[in-house]
Amino acid sequence: MNYLILLPQIILVAIAMLIPAIDLYFKDKTRILPYLAAGALGVSLLILSIFTGIIPLEIFDVTIPTSLFGGMLVVDRFALFLQLLFGMVTFFVVMASSSYIKQYDRNQGEYYSLLLIATVGMMTVAMANDLITLFIGLEVASISSYALTGFRKNSKKSAEAAMKYFIIGALSSSIVLYGISLFYGLTGTTDLAQFGTQLQNIDPSQDGLLAMATIFLIAGFSFKVAAAPFHMWAPDVYQGAPTTITTFLAAASKKMGFAALFKVFLFGLIAFKADWAIAFGVMAALTMTVGNLAALKQEDLKRMLAYSSIAQAGYIMMALAIATQYALGGALFHILTHAFMKTGAFIIVAMLSVMLIGSKVGDLRGLRIKSPITAFCMAIMMLSLAGIPPLAGFASKFVLFSSAIDAGGWLIWLAVVAVINSAISLYYYARVLKEMYVLPTDHIPIRMKEPLAMLIPVVLTTAAVIIVGLYPEPFIDAAMDAARALIP
Amino acid sequence: MAIADLPLLTITLLIPVIGTLAVFFMKNEDNAKKLALIFSLIPLGMSILIWSLFEIGGGYQFMESHTWIESIGISYTVAIDGLSLPMLFLTTLLIPLSIVFAWDTKKRQKEFFGLLLMIEVGLIGVFVSLDFFLFYIFWELVLIPMYFFIGIWGGPRKHYAAIKFFIFTHVGSVIMLLAIFALYFESASVLGYATFNMMDIATVSPTFTAAFQGAAFLALLFGFAVKMPAVPVHTWLPDAHVEAPTAGSVILAGVMLKMGGYGLFRVGITMLPEGAMEYYWVMAALGVVGMIYGALICLAQVDLKKMIAYSSISHMGFVLLGASALNLVGVAGGIYQMFSHGIVTAVLFMMCGVIHHKTGTRDIPKLQGLITKMPQASFILIIGFLASLGLPGMNGFVSELMVFVGAYEAYSIFIVVPLITLAIGAAYYIWTMQRILMGDFNEKLGNVTDLEKYELIPLAILVVFIIFLGFYPNPLLDVIYPAAEAVLGGVLL
Repeated sequence: MNYLILLPQIILVAIAMLIPAIDLYFKDKTRILPYLAAGALGVSLLILSIFTGIIPLEIFDVTIPTSLFGGMLVVDRFALFLQLLFGMVTFFVVMASSSYIKQYDRNQGEYYSLLLIATVGMMTVAMANDLITLFIGLEVASISSYALTGFRKNSKKSAEAAMKYFIIGALSSSIVLYGISLFYGLTGTTDLAQFGTQLQNIDPSQDGLLAMATIFLIAGFSFKVAAAPFHMWAPDVYQGAPTTITTFLAAASKKMGFAALFKVFLFGLIAFKADWAIAFGVMAALTMTVGNLAALKQEDLKRMLAYSSIAQAGYIMMALAIATQYALGGALFHILTHAFMKTGAFIIVAMLSVMLIGSKVGDLRGLRIKSPITAFCMAIMMLSLAGIPPLAGFASKFVLFSSAIDAGGWLIWLAVVAVINSAISLYYYARVLKEMYVLPTDHIPIRMKEPLAMLIPVVLTTAAVIIVGLYPEPFIDAAMDAARALIP
Repeated sequence: MAIADLPLLTITLLIPVIGTLAVFFMKNEDNAKKLALIFSLIPLGMSILIWSLFEIGGGYQFMESHTWIESIGISYTVAIDGLSLPMLFLTTLLIPLSIVFAWDTKKRQKEFFGLLLMIEVGLIGVFVSLDFFLFYIFWELVLIPMYFFIGIWGGPRKHYAAIKFFIFTHVGSVIMLLAIFALYFESASVLGYATFNMMDIATVSPTFTAAFQGAAFLALLFGFAVKMPAVPVHTWLPDAHVEAPTAGSVILAGVMLKMGGYGLFRVGITMLPEGAMEYYWVMAALGVVGMIYGALICLAQVDLKKMIAYSSISHMGFVLLGASALNLVGVAGGIYQMFSHGIVTAVLFMMCGVIHHKTGTRDIPKLQGLITKMPQASFILIIGFLASLGLPGMNGFVSELMVFVGAYEAYSIFIVVPLITLAIGAAYYIWTMQRILMGDFNEKLGNVTDLEKYELIPLAILVVFIIFLGFYPNPLLDVIYPAAEAVLGGVLL
């Protein structure tokens, strides 16, 4: 066994433990804490890049895939891909937080500490090869997120969002746990690698139980990824949470739910594809339609982006209905591009509130003069989310939607629903463009100064969206490699 | 190194890209138009150079191909043939003329001229790309600047028109994209490798099953029909045209509508001949309905610009009718019609812009006796109208005649139905001419002056084209005929 492969997580946990202690002894916390957290994330991202071979250095003696703890954790390309993604999103969130979380905010140590712990939880889900470790990772990440959502204790909205998130989250966790226990009862194992063979042998009289167990898992995880009809909590929570945490929830936490879904269904239960693929197909179509239609009417930017997240989750869910390697690769690629887009977009919203501009769609008016660079980045994010070429969101939708056509049959209709949805979404994304660039302002706006710590992640993600759009090859390859680890 | 060895098409494509950036980031707002004009004249020069080096009947030329996204078979492949050359020339001609025509634009000049160049990038890209991924990128790239164009500089209902335009055409594009995916996967199984290269796909796609070809053809046709536009998916066009600023209308009607026709010939008929043969009647029906419906609506219009917009629908119907005939004359006529309509409609929209600018109204009943105050303008307007209704000696006649000859070959006596369009066309044009030019001048219009110099120059150039190509269409036909043969390669077998 080679525990070295867990070095990124070990570093994160160590710093997460250290931060609350430092919090007690230092006065000027806004100075040191974010740097410490960002440093830890930066180092673990570096190590992960060395593991994956992005940085061609051979200092660590690790093999990929590595199986740890008797197969409870497996670090393969799939795990590394998602770990990099989670680490990166958290890194940007921490950067933005250094401007967003103010000197007078209490419990800053806990804030950064919980963020790191949640990241480790998500990374664990990506590595989990057993339902128990999967559940532990899920809970570690979820419980930290509940607390983070309620970080601004004095804000009623924040408290309400945390409460809602906690109740729904706990409920869905218990549903998942119930499903896991049923599976354990049926197969005598929680090891995902053995699921396929064990389930072949069960008695036909227990098919009903198997169906129930599957439904429990689908429902439980669908709550986590906010897929319709289990999506009601998401807009309220996203709106109420501190915007940096919303970024974290939309760009990383939701993706953890997908990591779990992919692990369980596309790896553990792939042999029973015929039984559950249709359910995911219907849910995917429903999710994207509900998300897009609801987003059309939103006046609040955060809420609009929350519904847009729901719609995007619908696109990603298509991969579960198609259930091919190519589709999974497309979904992972879309998860990556969506993480870039949503990180950028939500940090812009956070930035607007720090700049006291406001977070209604109408508040964006005149932004092209107030802050041309923010307006441009926002425009790129919106066009990319709508899937307009040559941006990242187009490239990933291109792969994902084409995989549905590749699979043929009824999935062609799923692709039709998806592209029509993509066209509907153009309306609300274009509205943002209209407010920023087209509509005249009542009085001449003044050029404003942007908080640098937030502008940097925004510019970086925008650059990423453009680069991935123009040259998607390495990113597609990485996603396909990751997909190959699950579906050979 | 000979000139022909240079990457001419890439240069033509890159110059407006640089121009867009240069105009957006320049300091002095007032020089934007001059810079934009320079950056749009270079591509015009390039396309004239390419035309002069073009070998007639030589198939795809000036080809450049570089791998781009290897893992899913995407490459940067550009080339030009007899089908795309006239379209390239039309694009590079109309952009500088629109820039000159819009010389007195005051509002947000940098963005105005920058976006015009950005539209040029998209249009040139569509006509030269031979890789579906690249093709689709440019196809969509045109929408964004046009959305802003209508939204910022448009008329009273600009916001509605802009978003309607954006969403309608985007829906058409994504349906087209699904058909492209289908072609990609179907050809990959025959070729043994996955590629989005149009030429590679075209070598195997005519052998696909008739059912596949039919379904893919209909999906493609939907995308192209929205763009052209064909009735009943045309409703975005009158709104977009009426609200767009004149330069926008000129580009929209002059070149953007041609993207639909171009796609139909380049992808639809070339790649899916059996699909086209099976569903030729859909094209014919869409074409004829568009021709007659558009013409009838024109009769009832009060707004001059709206009338010209509907006449575009009617004239693009000719393209569909010519394509549906699936014979050499018909297809060549359809291609010629795209070019000649581009020129004529540019004149009409510019004239409409002039009249609106000078008199403050576009209402036909309010306009009267303009010929007394605006002799030059009236002369050009008459030429435009006559060319548009297909008077012999003008370029519109050549293409319409060819389309009807082709259609006669295919449908014999039934062409009396589309022929009605010519009568209606003559009726609304001459009637409109009578109402706005003849009679006593309506004094309520105030002090009306004739064309400004920056308006006259682009109009005069276009009029020269109209008359020259009316009497001597050979230079264009020579280029188009081999291309039409190539388009029909699979059908004639």
